[in-house]
Amino acid sequence: MVDIRRISTNRWWHKKKNWGLFIFLLFLFFVRISKGSLYKDLYFLISKPFWPGQFQREILTKSVEQEFFIKFKQLEKDNKRLREILSLKRLSDSESISATVISRKTGSWWRQIILNKGEKDGVEVGSFVVGPGGLLGRVNNTSLFTSSVILLTSPESKVGVWIERIQSHGLLVGLGNDYPKAIFYNKEVNIEVGDILLTSPASTLLPPNIPVGIIQSVDEELQAKKTANILLLGKPQAIDWVQILKVAI
Amino acid sequence: MEKYLKKKIYIISFLFIPIVYFWDPDWLEFLGVQPYWPLFWLLPWSMIYGSIDGLIVGLFLGMILDSVSPDSSFTQIPGLVLSGIWFGKLSISSNGFIAHFRYGLICSIACFLCNSLYFFQILIKNLSDNNIFFYFSSIGNIFAQVFITGLLAPLLCSLLFVLFQKSRGKDKLIRFINK
Repeated sequence: MVDIRRISTNRWWHKKKNWGLFIFLLFLFFVRISKGSLYKDLYFLISKPFWPGQFQREILTKSVEQEFFIKFKQLEKDNKRLREILSLKRLSDSESISATVISRKTGSWWRQIILNKGEKDGVEVGSFVVGPGGLLGRVNNTSLFTSSVILLTSPESKVGVWIERIQSHGLLVGLGNDYPKAIFYNKEVNIEVGDILLTSPASTLLPPNIPVGIIQSVDEELQAKKTANILLLGKPQAIDWVQILKVAI
Repeated sequence: MEKYLKKKIYIISFLFIPIVYFWDPDWLEFLGVQPYWPLFWLLPWSMIYGSIDGLIVGLFLGMILDSVSPDSSFTQIPGLVLSGIWFGKLSISSNGFIAHFRYGLICSIACFLCNSLYFFQILIKNLSDNNIFFYFSSIGNIFAQVFITGLLAPLLCSLLFVLFQKSRGKDKLIRFINK
């Protein structure tokens, strides 16, 4: 009788140590099955206060910017060399001229802005003007202290553009309203709403790849050409400061 | 000095037209279009001095505005010359109230004429490149400018009319009233 009692108290499940081992094994099994997700979540909570903060982010951003800048300079150098070989227009090496808009006519037929920099500051006829967003127009007249810029929306304005996605060249024509039209002299061209228009690399007046506008709608095909309404990126009616950039041959 | 300014008010105001043209305040625009400023000056001048003077001043105004405008291919001269001749043939109304509204109507019609002539120049110049409907989306410019010019004309033309009359010695108005 005594033996039976002793045996029954000596069963493994009566020992705390064994239960502990069992729970530990169960835990290991769970970790194995869940592929350590419990650990990962725990690490998430513990490490949260020590994550890379604003300072580390700034360092990284700066490094990335530097990397891009070096790449950009390299590409610019290559581009300059290639454009020299092809005798195409390019940006002048001299710095751009910042100017203030002192008069703007952005309605009706006469669409121009007048800037507070003129011949005295080295502005030349044919220089092009960019503002926040992209190209605004070209300098068509200068006085000693001012320069007049003919806007892309003016009926007089015609600028060579292209869509990089489809490598198609066209002509941006001002109509005297806020939405100039782009004409593509090929009705098979696959232009889509949202395509970005850049200045054409084949242009003899402007340097290439300056953002101009976005295709807002595509008109029905007419004869052998396709036309599209353009939403300009640069808004001359709201811009007070612009950059005048010289074109070098 | 004040007397001199009063006497030469038409020259001073004439010289100010390109300045106002450049100024073009945003708060005076309708659908992004500002009034056609030269008509406000040309109407009282031509009504007082007649068609020949209207023609000459219309020509001068057109030449000045063409010089300060960006579009070298198109001209504002025909519209302003025709308006000057027409304004010179109009009689001065003795009823001040009616005259105010008459200025508005006359300026609106003249603005329509000037804008239409300008629009036709654009159409004719680009007819070889594009079809006739290509530029029709900008026809709203004409109506917006006609509206805003007609709206401001009673105020500005009346003011200039009084100033020009004073500078001229009111002789034409007196002659008209005596008739």
